[in-house]
Amino acid sequence: MSVCEIQGLIRDYGNGRGVFDLSFAIHQGEVFGFLGPNGAGKTTMIRHLMGFLKPEKGYCTIGGMDCWKDRADIQKTLGYIPGEMVFFDDMTGLEFLSFMAKYRRIKSNGRTRELLDRFELDARGKLKKMSKGMKQKIGIVAAFMHDPEVLVLDEPTSGLDPLMQNRFIELMLEERARGKTILMSSHMFEEVERTCSRVAIIKNGKLVALDNVEALKAAQARKYVITLEDEDAAAAFAGEGLRVYEVSHNQVTVIVQSNIKELLSVMNRYPVINILTPNQSLEEIFMQYYGGGRS
Amino acid sequence: MINWTLYKRGIRESWKMLAIFAAVITMYFTIIISMFDPALGSALNEFAKAMPELMAIVGMTPATAELVSFLEAYLYGFIMLVFPMLYCILSANKLIVRHVDRGSMTYLLSAPVKRETVAFTQMKVMVTGLFALVFYATLLGLVNCEISFPGELNIRKFILLNIGALCLQLYVGGICFLSSCIFNDSKYALGVGAGIPVLGFIIQMMANAGKELEKMKYATFFTLFDSEGIIAGEPDAIWGMIALCAGAMVLFSSAIVVFSRKDLHI
Repeated sequence: MSVCEIQGLIRDYGNGRGVFDLSFAIHQGEVFGFLGPNGAGKTTMIRHLMGFLKPEKGYCTIGGMDCWKDRADIQKTLGYIPGEMVFFDDMTGLEFLSFMAKYRRIKSNGRTRELLDRFELDARGKLKKMSKGMKQKIGIVAAFMHDPEVLVLDEPTSGLDPLMQNRFIELMLEERARGKTILMSSHMFEEVERTCSRVAIIKNGKLVALDNVEALKAAQARKYVITLEDEDAAAAFAGEGLRVYEVSHNQVTVIVQSNIKELLSVMNRYPVINILTPNQSLEEIFMQYYGGGRS
Repeated sequence: MINWTLYKRGIRESWKMLAIFAAVITMYFTIIISMFDPALGSALNEFAKAMPELMAIVGMTPATAELVSFLEAYLYGFIMLVFPMLYCILSANKLIVRHVDRGSMTYLLSAPVKRETVAFTQMKVMVTGLFALVFYATLLGLVNCEISFPGELNIRKFILLNIGALCLQLYVGGICFLSSCIFNDSKYALGVGAGIPVLGFIIQMMANAGKELEKMKYATFFTLFDSEGIIAGEPDAIWGMIALCAGAMVLFSSAIVVFSRKDLHI
Protein backbone atom coordinates (compact mmCIF):
# COMPACT_ATOMS: atom_id res chain seq x y z
CA MET A 1 0.00 0.00 0.00
CA SER A 2 1.42 3.38 -0.86
CA VAL A 3 1.34 5.98 1.88
CA CYS A 4 2.67 8.82 -0.17
CA GLU A 5 2.10 9.35 -3.83
CA ILE A 6 3.53 11.95 -6.16
CA GLN A 7 2.00 12.09 -9.59
CA GLY A 8 3.16 14.27 -12.48
CA LEU A 9 4.34 17.04 -10.15
CA ILE A 10 5.53 20.16 -11.98
CA ARG A 11 6.82 23.45 -10.68
CA ASP A 12 8.86 25.54 -13.03
CA TYR A 13 10.96 28.35 -11.52
CA GLY A 14 12.55 29.09 -14.89
CA ASN A 15 16.20 28.59 -15.85
CA GLY A 16 15.75 24.84 -15.51
CA ARG A 17 15.08 25.12 -11.78
CA GLY A 18 12.13 23.44 -10.13
CA VAL A 19 10.70 19.96 -10.46
CA PHE A 20 9.49 18.53 -13.72
CA ASP A 21 6.99 15.72 -14.00
CA LEU A 22 8.02 13.86 -10.86
CA SER A 23 6.11 10.67 -10.16
CA PHE A 24 6.72 8.01 -7.56
CA ALA A 25 5.08 6.31 -4.62
CA ILE A 26 6.32 5.45 -1.15
CA HIS A 27 4.99 2.35 0.54
CA GLN A 28 3.89 1.77 4.10
CA GLY A 29 6.79 0.96 6.39
CA GLU A 30 9.45 1.97 3.91
CA VAL A 31 12.44 4.23 4.31
CA PHE A 32 12.66 6.05 1.05
CA GLY A 33 15.76 7.97 0.09
CA PHE A 34 15.49 11.08 -2.02
CA LEU A 35 18.89 11.73 -3.38
CA GLY A 36 20.21 14.58 -5.46
CA PRO A 37 22.92 17.22 -5.64
CA ASN A 38 22.29 20.68 -4.22
CA GLY A 39 19.70 22.58 -6.20
CA ALA A 40 18.24 19.45 -7.78
CA GLY A 41 14.74 20.14 -6.49
CA LYS A 42 14.63 18.03 -3.33
CA THR A 43 13.40 20.80 -1.07
CA THR A 44 10.91 22.01 -3.69
CA MET A 45 9.39 18.53 -3.78
CA ILE A 46 9.25 18.40 0.02
CA ARG A 47 7.55 21.80 0.18
CA HIS A 48 4.82 20.35 -1.99
CA LEU A 49 4.44 17.39 0.34
CA MET A 50 4.14 19.78 3.27
CA GLY A 51 1.46 21.84 1.54
CA PHE A 52 3.61 24.97 1.48
CA LEU A 53 3.49 25.08 -2.31
CA LYS A 54 0.60 24.37 -4.62
CA PRO A 55 1.54 22.13 -7.57
CA GLU A 56 1.46 23.86 -10.92
CA LYS A 57 0.49 20.52 -12.40
CA GLY A 58 0.03 17.09 -10.92
CA TYR A 59 -0.64 16.27 -7.29
CA CYS A 60 0.78 14.61 -4.24
CA THR A 61 -1.00 12.76 -1.50
CA ILE A 62 -0.11 11.44 1.93
CA GLY A 63 -2.34 8.82 3.49
CA GLY A 64 -4.79 9.33 0.64
CA MET A 65 -5.20 13.03 1.42
CA ASP A 66 -4.22 15.83 -0.92
CA CYS A 67 -1.08 17.58 0.26
CA TRP A 68 -2.35 21.05 -0.65
CA LYS A 69 -6.03 20.86 0.28
CA ASP A 70 -5.81 18.65 3.36
CA ARG A 71 -2.46 19.89 4.62
CA ALA A 72 -3.60 20.55 8.18
CA ASP A 73 -5.14 17.09 8.56
CA ILE A 74 -2.05 15.42 7.13
CA GLN A 75 0.08 17.16 9.74
CA LYS A 76 -1.66 15.32 12.57
CA THR A 77 0.40 12.21 11.89
CA LEU A 78 3.38 13.75 10.15
CA GLY A 79 6.78 14.70 11.47
CA TYR A 80 8.97 17.11 9.55
CA ILE A 81 12.59 18.13 9.76
CA PRO A 82 13.10 21.23 7.62
CA GLY A 83 16.24 21.70 5.59
CA GLU A 84 16.98 24.86 7.49
CA MET A 85 16.44 25.23 11.22
CA VAL A 86 14.88 28.57 12.04
CA PHE A 87 13.12 28.84 15.37
CA PHE A 88 11.80 31.66 17.49
CA ASP A 89 15.04 33.09 18.70
CA ASP A 90 13.89 34.42 22.03
CA MET A 91 12.92 30.97 23.34
CA THR A 92 15.06 28.36 25.03
CA GLY A 93 15.11 24.89 23.51
CA LEU A 94 12.79 23.51 26.18
CA GLU A 95 10.38 26.42 25.84
CA PHE A 96 10.25 25.83 22.10
CA LEU A 97 9.55 22.11 22.50
CA SER A 98 6.83 22.72 25.04
CA PHE A 99 5.39 25.46 22.81
CA MET A 100 5.29 23.03 19.89
CA ALA A 101 3.64 20.33 22.02
CA LYS A 102 0.92 22.72 23.19
CA TYR A 103 0.57 24.23 19.72
CA ARG A 104 0.05 20.74 18.32
CA ARG A 105 -2.31 20.01 21.21
CA ILE A 106 -0.47 16.90 22.28
CA LYS A 107 0.02 15.88 25.88
CA SER A 108 3.60 16.04 26.97
CA ASN A 109 4.84 12.49 27.19
CA GLY A 110 8.06 10.77 28.09
CA ARG A 111 8.95 10.71 24.43
CA THR A 112 10.46 14.19 24.39
CA ARG A 113 12.60 13.41 27.43
CA GLU A 114 13.74 10.16 25.87
CA LEU A 115 14.69 11.88 22.61
CA LEU A 116 16.61 14.60 24.44
CA ASP A 117 18.55 11.94 26.31
CA ARG A 118 19.19 9.94 23.20
CA PHE A 119 20.83 12.91 21.51
CA GLU A 120 22.52 14.07 24.71
CA LEU A 121 20.91 17.43 24.31
CA ASP A 122 20.70 20.03 27.04
CA ALA A 123 17.91 22.18 25.66
CA ARG A 124 17.87 24.74 28.45
CA GLY A 125 19.89 27.31 26.54
CA LYS A 126 18.53 30.03 24.27
CA LEU A 127 17.95 28.85 20.72
CA LYS A 128 19.72 31.93 19.40
CA LYS A 129 22.96 30.86 21.02
CA MET A 130 22.82 27.23 19.96
CA SER A 131 25.25 25.72 17.47
CA LYS A 132 24.04 24.32 14.19
CA GLY A 133 24.24 20.77 15.52
CA MET A 134 22.22 21.60 18.62
CA LYS A 135 19.55 23.30 16.56
CA GLN A 136 19.43 20.25 14.34
CA LYS A 137 18.86 18.07 17.41
CA ILE A 138 16.02 20.32 18.57
CA GLY A 139 14.51 19.97 15.11
CA ILE A 140 14.80 16.19 15.32
CA VAL A 141 13.10 16.09 18.72
CA ALA A 142 10.32 18.37 17.47
CA ALA A 143 9.75 16.09 14.48
CA PHE A 144 9.59 12.85 16.45
CA MET A 145 7.99 13.89 19.73
CA HIS A 146 4.39 13.31 18.69
CA ASP A 147 5.20 9.82 17.38
CA PRO A 148 4.13 10.47 13.79
CA GLU A 149 3.24 7.77 11.26
CA VAL A 150 4.95 9.49 8.36
CA LEU A 151 8.25 11.33 8.54
CA VAL A 152 9.51 13.82 6.01
CA LEU A 153 13.15 14.59 6.66
CA ASP A 154 15.03 17.17 4.63
CA GLU A 155 18.75 16.44 5.01
CA PRO A 156 18.21 15.43 8.63
CA THR A 157 21.80 14.74 9.60
CA SER A 158 23.31 18.00 8.43
CA GLY A 159 25.29 19.61 11.22
CA LEU A 160 25.45 16.44 13.31
CA ASP A 161 28.78 14.89 14.24
CA PRO A 162 29.39 11.26 13.16
CA LEU A 163 28.38 9.87 16.57
CA MET A 164 25.08 11.71 16.49
CA GLN A 165 24.57 10.78 12.85
CA ASN A 166 24.78 7.16 13.97
CA ARG A 167 22.31 7.77 16.79
CA PHE A 168 19.97 9.31 14.26
CA ILE A 169 20.30 6.39 11.89
CA GLU A 170 19.53 4.03 14.79
CA LEU A 171 16.43 6.06 15.52
CA MET A 172 15.31 5.82 11.92
CA LEU A 173 15.84 2.06 11.85
CA GLU A 174 13.79 1.71 15.05
CA GLU A 175 11.01 3.77 13.57
CA ARG A 176 11.10 1.70 10.42
CA ALA A 177 10.80 -1.46 12.53
CA ARG A 178 7.71 0.08 14.15
CA GLY A 179 6.12 0.39 10.73
CA LYS A 180 6.66 4.10 10.20
CA THR A 181 7.04 5.45 6.70
CA ILE A 182 10.02 7.71 6.17
CA LEU A 183 11.05 9.96 3.31
CA MET A 184 14.55 11.26 3.69
CA SER A 185 16.39 13.58 1.37
CA SER A 186 20.13 13.70 1.16
CA HIS A 187 22.98 14.62 -1.10
CA MET A 188 25.19 11.78 0.12
CA PHE A 189 24.71 8.22 -1.03
CA GLU A 190 26.59 6.84 1.98
CA GLU A 191 23.97 8.21 4.32
CA VAL A 192 21.05 6.90 2.33
CA GLU A 193 22.44 3.42 1.70
CA ARG A 194 22.58 2.66 5.42
CA THR A 195 18.93 3.24 6.09
CA CYS A 196 16.86 3.31 2.93
CA SER A 197 15.31 0.39 1.14
CA ARG A 198 14.57 2.30 -2.03
CA VAL A 199 16.15 5.39 -3.46
CA ALA A 200 15.06 7.96 -6.00
CA ILE A 201 17.76 10.05 -7.62
CA ILE A 202 16.79 13.48 -8.86
CA LYS A 203 18.79 15.83 -11.03
CA ASN A 204 17.72 19.20 -12.40
CA GLY A 205 14.22 18.50 -11.14
CA LYS A 206 13.83 15.26 -13.03
CA LEU A 207 13.78 11.73 -11.72
CA VAL A 208 16.80 9.95 -13.16
CA ALA A 209 16.71 6.74 -11.19
CA LEU A 210 14.41 4.88 -8.85
CA ASP A 211 15.64 1.56 -7.57
CA ASN A 212 16.44 -0.67 -4.63
CA VAL A 213 19.50 0.22 -2.69
CA GLU A 214 21.14 -3.07 -3.71
CA ALA A 215 20.68 -2.33 -7.38
CA LEU A 216 22.07 1.14 -6.92
CA LYS A 217 25.04 -0.19 -5.01
CA ALA A 218 25.82 -2.46 -7.93
CA ALA A 219 25.61 0.50 -10.26
CA GLN A 220 27.82 2.58 -8.03
CA ALA A 221 31.04 3.48 -9.78
CA ARG A 222 34.09 4.53 -7.79
CA LYS A 223 37.05 6.44 -9.07
CA TYR A 224 40.54 5.52 -7.97
CA VAL A 225 43.59 7.58 -8.71
CA ILE A 226 46.64 5.36 -8.89
CA THR A 227 50.09 6.90 -8.84
CA LEU A 228 52.86 4.87 -10.42
CA GLU A 229 56.61 5.21 -10.44
CA ASP A 230 56.93 6.82 -13.87
CA GLU A 231 54.99 7.72 -16.99
CA ASP A 232 55.92 4.52 -18.83
CA ALA A 233 54.49 2.40 -16.05
CA ALA A 234 51.37 4.56 -16.07
CA ALA A 235 50.93 4.07 -19.81
CA ALA A 236 51.37 0.32 -19.47
CA PHE A 237 48.97 0.25 -16.51
CA ALA A 238 46.39 2.08 -18.58
CA GLY A 239 46.65 -0.60 -21.26
CA GLU A 240 45.62 -3.39 -18.90
CA GLY A 241 41.98 -3.37 -19.90
CA LEU A 242 40.61 -1.56 -16.90
CA ARG A 243 38.09 1.23 -17.39
CA VAL A 244 40.43 4.19 -17.61
CA TYR A 245 39.04 7.63 -17.02
CA GLU A 246 42.18 9.68 -17.36
CA VAL A 247 45.96 9.36 -17.63
CA SER A 248 48.16 12.26 -16.65
CA HIS A 249 51.90 11.96 -16.11
CA ASN A 250 52.40 9.05 -13.76
CA GLN A 251 48.79 9.02 -12.52
CA VAL A 252 46.00 6.84 -13.86
CA THR A 253 42.38 7.37 -12.90
CA VAL A 254 40.26 4.25 -13.25
CA ILE A 255 36.57 3.65 -12.70
CA VAL A 256 35.65 0.56 -10.76
CA GLN A 257 32.14 -0.73 -10.40
CA SER A 258 32.19 -4.25 -9.02
CA ASN A 259 35.55 -5.44 -10.34
CA ILE A 260 37.64 -4.27 -7.43
CA LYS A 261 39.53 -7.62 -7.39
CA GLU A 262 40.60 -7.13 -10.96
CA LEU A 263 42.02 -3.75 -10.06
CA LEU A 264 43.87 -5.20 -7.10
CA SER A 265 45.45 -7.95 -9.13
CA VAL A 266 46.60 -5.52 -11.78
CA MET A 267 47.99 -3.19 -9.13
CA ASN A 268 50.00 -6.08 -7.69
CA ARG A 269 51.99 -6.35 -10.87
CA TYR A 270 52.93 -2.67 -11.13
CA PRO A 271 55.12 -0.29 -9.14
CA VAL A 272 52.27 1.50 -7.41
CA ILE A 273 53.29 4.37 -5.14
CA ASN A 274 49.95 5.63 -3.98
CA ILE A 275 46.22 5.11 -4.34
CA LEU A 276 43.48 7.50 -3.42
CA THR A 277 39.75 7.93 -3.91
CA PRO A 278 38.79 11.49 -4.70
CA ASN A 279 35.53 12.95 -3.42
CA GLN A 280 32.91 12.28 -6.01
CA SER A 281 29.68 13.94 -6.83
CA LEU A 282 26.50 11.92 -7.15
CA GLU A 283 26.68 12.25 -10.90
CA GLU A 284 30.04 10.57 -10.92
CA ILE A 285 28.95 7.79 -8.61
CA PHE A 286 25.96 6.90 -10.75
CA MET A 287 27.42 7.60 -14.13
CA GLN A 288 25.32 5.13 -16.02
CA TYR A 289 22.16 6.53 -14.50
CA TYR A 290 23.21 9.95 -15.55
CA GLY A 291 23.83 8.80 -19.09
CA GLY A 292 27.27 7.22 -18.83
CA GLY A 293 30.70 8.72 -18.29
CA ARG A 294 33.76 8.83 -20.46
CA SER A 295 35.68 5.60 -20.88
CA MET B 1 -10.45 29.15 14.50
CA ILE B 2 -8.00 30.41 17.08
CA ASN B 3 -4.94 28.70 18.50
CA TRP B 4 -4.58 29.86 22.09
CA THR B 5 -0.99 28.73 22.45
CA LEU B 6 0.01 30.94 19.56
CA TYR B 7 -2.21 33.75 20.83
CA LYS B 8 -0.62 33.74 24.26
CA ARG B 9 2.83 33.78 22.74
CA GLY B 10 1.85 36.69 20.52
CA ILE B 11 0.55 38.69 23.46
CA ARG B 12 3.64 37.93 25.51
CA GLU B 13 5.75 39.14 22.61
CA SER B 14 3.77 42.37 22.10
CA TRP B 15 3.38 43.69 25.59
CA LYS B 16 6.79 45.33 25.81
CA MET B 17 6.16 47.30 22.66
CA LEU B 18 2.67 48.20 23.90
CA ALA B 19 4.09 49.36 27.21
CA ILE B 20 6.45 51.74 25.43
CA PHE B 21 3.63 53.21 23.36
CA ALA B 22 1.45 53.46 26.46
CA ALA B 23 4.24 55.34 28.25
CA VAL B 24 4.60 57.81 25.37
CA ILE B 25 0.84 58.36 25.25
CA THR B 26 0.74 58.83 29.02
CA MET B 27 3.37 61.53 28.78
CA TYR B 28 1.56 63.46 26.04
CA PHE B 29 -1.87 63.10 27.64
CA THR B 30 -0.65 64.31 31.02
CA ILE B 31 1.24 67.29 29.65
CA ILE B 32 -1.41 68.42 27.21
CA ILE B 33 -4.35 68.01 29.57
CA SER B 34 -2.50 70.05 32.19
CA MET B 35 -2.24 72.89 29.66
CA PHE B 36 -6.01 73.24 29.45
CA ASP B 37 -7.39 76.35 31.07
CA PRO B 38 -11.15 76.77 30.71
CA ALA B 39 -11.15 80.45 31.68
CA LEU B 40 -8.24 81.94 29.81
CA GLY B 41 -7.67 79.68 26.84
CA SER B 42 -4.66 77.45 27.05
CA ALA B 43 -1.06 78.09 26.26
CA LEU B 44 -1.51 75.87 23.26
CA ASN B 45 -4.21 78.17 21.96
CA GLU B 46 -1.65 80.97 22.09
CA PHE B 47 0.60 78.83 19.90
CA ALA B 48 -2.28 78.23 17.54
CA LYS B 49 -2.80 81.95 17.23
CA ALA B 50 0.89 82.67 16.77
CA MET B 51 1.49 80.07 14.05
CA PRO B 52 -1.85 78.98 12.68
CA GLU B 53 -0.49 77.15 9.60
CA LEU B 54 1.92 74.94 11.47
CA MET B 55 -0.63 73.99 14.11
CA ALA B 56 -3.26 73.33 11.45
CA ILE B 57 -1.02 70.85 9.66
CA VAL B 58 -1.04 68.57 12.67
CA GLY B 59 -4.75 69.21 13.21
CA MET B 60 -4.32 71.35 16.30
CA THR B 61 -7.09 73.87 15.89
CA PRO B 62 -9.86 73.49 18.47
CA ALA B 63 -13.37 74.23 17.26
CA THR B 64 -14.68 75.36 20.65
CA ALA B 65 -13.37 76.09 24.10
CA GLU B 66 -14.81 72.85 25.48
CA LEU B 67 -12.42 70.33 27.09
CA VAL B 68 -13.40 67.49 24.75
CA SER B 69 -12.78 69.74 21.77
CA PHE B 70 -9.42 70.66 23.23
CA LEU B 71 -8.46 66.99 23.57
CA GLU B 72 -9.69 66.29 20.04
CA ALA B 73 -7.52 69.05 18.63
CA TYR B 74 -4.32 68.48 20.55
CA LEU B 75 -4.32 64.69 21.02
CA TYR B 76 -6.51 63.10 18.33
CA GLY B 77 -5.08 65.01 15.36
CA PHE B 78 -1.54 63.74 15.75
CA ILE B 79 -0.54 61.77 18.85
CA MET B 80 -3.41 59.29 18.71
CA LEU B 81 -2.98 58.88 14.96
CA VAL B 82 0.76 58.40 14.80
CA PHE B 83 1.50 56.12 17.74
CA PRO B 84 -1.18 53.50 17.22
CA MET B 85 -0.27 53.59 13.53
CA LEU B 86 3.34 52.82 14.41
CA TYR B 87 2.14 49.95 16.56
CA CYS B 88 0.12 48.55 13.62
CA ILE B 89 3.07 48.74 11.25
CA LEU B 90 5.50 47.06 13.62
CA SER B 91 3.08 44.48 14.93
CA ALA B 92 1.75 43.36 11.52
CA ASN B 93 5.28 42.95 10.27
CA LYS B 94 6.34 40.90 13.23
CA LEU B 95 3.32 38.61 13.29
CA ILE B 96 3.30 37.25 9.73
CA VAL B 97 5.90 38.28 7.19
CA ARG B 98 8.86 38.14 9.52
CA HIS B 99 8.14 34.46 10.17
CA VAL B 100 7.83 33.83 6.44
CA ASP B 101 10.93 35.82 5.61
CA ARG B 102 13.10 34.18 8.27
CA GLY B 103 11.60 30.73 7.87
CA SER B 104 10.17 30.18 11.35
CA MET B 105 6.71 29.97 9.73
CA THR B 106 7.78 26.42 8.88
CA TYR B 107 7.13 25.35 12.44
CA LEU B 108 3.77 27.07 12.68
CA LEU B 109 2.62 25.24 9.55
CA SER B 110 4.18 21.84 10.13
CA ALA B 111 1.53 21.15 12.75
CA PRO B 112 -2.15 20.31 12.45
CA VAL B 113 -3.11 23.98 12.52
CA LYS B 114 -4.78 25.48 9.47
CA ARG B 115 -3.17 28.48 7.81
CA GLU B 116 -6.46 30.31 8.30
CA THR B 117 -6.13 29.68 12.02
CA VAL B 118 -2.55 30.92 12.11
CA ALA B 119 -3.44 34.13 10.27
CA PHE B 120 -6.63 34.67 12.28
CA THR B 121 -4.81 34.14 15.57
CA GLN B 122 -2.05 36.57 14.62
CA MET B 123 -4.68 39.10 13.55
CA LYS B 124 -6.35 38.71 16.95
CA VAL B 125 -3.03 39.39 18.65
CA MET B 126 -2.62 42.60 16.72
CA VAL B 127 -6.22 43.74 17.22
CA THR B 128 -6.06 42.94 20.93
CA GLY B 129 -3.03 45.20 21.25
CA LEU B 130 -4.78 47.97 19.36
CA PHE B 131 -7.88 47.71 21.56
CA ALA B 132 -5.69 47.76 24.64
CA LEU B 133 -3.84 50.85 23.45
CA VAL B 134 -6.98 52.84 22.61
CA PHE B 135 -8.77 51.62 25.74
CA TYR B 136 -5.81 52.72 27.82
CA ALA B 137 -5.82 56.16 26.17
CA THR B 138 -9.54 56.50 26.82
CA LEU B 139 -9.12 55.60 30.46
CA LEU B 140 -6.11 57.86 30.78
CA GLY B 141 -8.00 60.80 29.30
CA LEU B 142 -11.01 60.22 31.54
CA VAL B 143 -9.00 59.88 34.73
CA ASN B 144 -6.72 62.80 33.93
CA CYS B 145 -9.62 65.11 33.11
CA GLU B 146 -11.70 64.07 36.09
CA ILE B 147 -8.78 64.73 38.45
CA SER B 148 -7.72 68.07 36.98
CA PHE B 149 -11.06 69.38 35.74
CA PRO B 150 -13.89 67.44 37.41
CA GLY B 151 -17.12 67.51 35.45
CA GLU B 152 -15.65 69.47 32.53
CA LEU B 153 -15.34 66.58 30.09
CA ASN B 154 -18.21 65.49 27.88
CA ILE B 155 -17.64 61.81 28.51
CA ARG B 156 -20.04 60.51 25.88
CA LYS B 157 -18.36 62.52 23.14
CA PHE B 158 -14.90 61.61 24.37
CA ILE B 159 -15.71 57.89 24.25
CA LEU B 160 -17.20 58.28 20.79
CA LEU B 161 -14.04 60.06 19.71
CA ASN B 162 -11.98 57.10 20.91
CA ILE B 163 -14.22 54.62 19.12
CA GLY B 164 -13.63 56.68 15.99
CA ALA B 165 -9.88 56.57 16.53
CA LEU B 166 -10.11 52.80 17.02
CA CYS B 167 -12.03 52.38 13.73
CA LEU B 168 -9.36 54.38 11.91
CA GLN B 169 -6.56 52.35 13.45
CA LEU B 170 -8.30 49.07 12.66
CA TYR B 171 -8.33 50.20 9.05
CA VAL B 172 -4.65 51.10 9.22
CA GLY B 173 -4.00 47.74 10.87
CA GLY B 174 -5.89 46.02 8.08
CA ILE B 175 -3.64 47.60 5.47
CA CYS B 176 -0.49 46.62 7.35
CA PHE B 177 -1.72 43.10 7.99
CA LEU B 178 -2.79 42.53 4.39
CA SER B 179 0.57 43.73 3.20
CA SER B 180 2.26 41.41 5.68
CA CYS B 181 0.26 38.49 4.26
CA ILE B 182 0.81 39.35 0.60
CA PHE B 183 4.57 39.71 0.58
CA ASN B 184 7.20 37.11 1.40
CA ASP B 185 9.86 39.66 2.07
CA SER B 186 9.82 41.93 5.13
CA LYS B 187 11.26 44.79 3.09
CA TYR B 188 8.34 44.92 0.65
CA ALA B 189 5.72 44.22 3.26
CA LEU B 190 7.02 47.09 5.35
CA GLY B 191 7.35 49.36 2.32
CA VAL B 192 3.74 48.92 1.27
CA GLY B 193 2.21 48.33 4.70
CA ALA B 194 3.84 51.41 6.19
CA GLY B 195 3.95 53.40 2.95
CA ILE B 196 0.19 53.57 2.35
CA PRO B 197 -0.83 54.79 5.84
CA VAL B 198 2.10 57.20 6.09
CA LEU B 199 1.32 58.63 2.65
CA GLY B 200 -2.35 58.94 3.64
CA PHE B 201 -1.32 60.79 6.77
CA ILE B 202 0.97 63.16 4.86
CA ILE B 203 -1.81 63.92 2.38
CA GLN B 204 -4.08 64.73 5.29
CA MET B 205 -1.49 67.09 6.75
CA MET B 206 -1.18 68.82 3.39
CA ALA B 207 -4.96 69.08 3.09
CA ASN B 208 -5.05 70.63 6.57
CA ALA B 209 -2.41 73.16 5.63
CA GLY B 210 -3.91 75.24 2.90
CA LYS B 211 -7.02 76.25 1.06
CA GLU B 212 -5.77 75.21 -2.39
CA LEU B 213 -4.72 71.82 -1.11
CA GLU B 214 -7.93 71.18 0.80
CA LYS B 215 -9.38 69.06 -2.01
CA MET B 216 -6.61 66.55 -1.33
CA LYS B 217 -8.59 65.35 1.65
CA TYR B 218 -10.62 63.22 -0.77
CA ALA B 219 -7.44 61.31 -1.58
CA THR B 220 -6.89 59.88 1.89
CA PHE B 221 -8.87 57.55 4.12
CA PHE B 222 -7.85 59.65 7.15
CA THR B 223 -10.65 62.00 6.14
CA LEU B 224 -13.14 59.29 7.14
CA PHE B 225 -12.07 59.84 10.74
CA ASP B 226 -13.67 63.24 11.16
CA SER B 227 -12.82 63.99 14.76
CA GLU B 228 -14.29 67.48 14.70
CA GLY B 229 -17.46 66.10 13.16
CA ILE B 230 -17.68 63.46 15.89
CA ILE B 231 -17.49 66.17 18.56
CA ALA B 232 -20.00 68.33 16.70
CA GLY B 233 -22.33 65.32 16.49
CA GLU B 234 -22.51 65.21 12.70
CA PRO B 235 -24.08 62.00 11.32
CA ASP B 236 -21.55 61.89 8.46
CA ALA B 237 -18.79 61.44 11.00
CA ILE B 238 -20.53 58.32 12.31
CA TRP B 239 -20.87 57.00 8.77
CA GLY B 240 -17.15 57.55 8.32
CA MET B 241 -16.48 55.41 11.37
CA ILE B 242 -18.73 52.67 10.04
CA ALA B 243 -17.01 52.82 6.65
CA LEU B 244 -13.58 52.48 8.29
CA CYS B 245 -14.74 49.57 10.37
CA ALA B 246 -16.26 47.78 7.38
CA GLY B 247 -13.14 48.48 5.35
CA ALA B 248 -11.01 47.00 8.12
CA MET B 249 -13.07 43.82 8.08
CA VAL B 250 -12.66 43.49 4.32
CA LEU B 251 -8.90 44.06 4.62
CA PHE B 252 -8.45 41.52 7.40
CA SER B 253 -10.58 38.89 5.65
CA SER B 254 -8.65 39.37 2.42
CA ALA B 255 -5.40 39.05 4.34
CA ILE B 256 -6.44 35.69 5.77
CA VAL B 257 -7.59 34.42 2.38
CA VAL B 258 -4.38 35.59 0.67
CA PHE B 259 -2.20 33.95 3.30
CA SER B 260 -4.11 30.69 3.09
CA ARG B 261 -3.84 30.42 -0.67
CA LYS B 262 -0.35 31.60 -1.40
CA ASP B 263 2.80 29.64 -2.06
CA LEU B 264 5.26 29.71 0.78
CA HIS B 265 8.92 29.13 0.06
CA ILE B 266 9.81 28.19 3.59
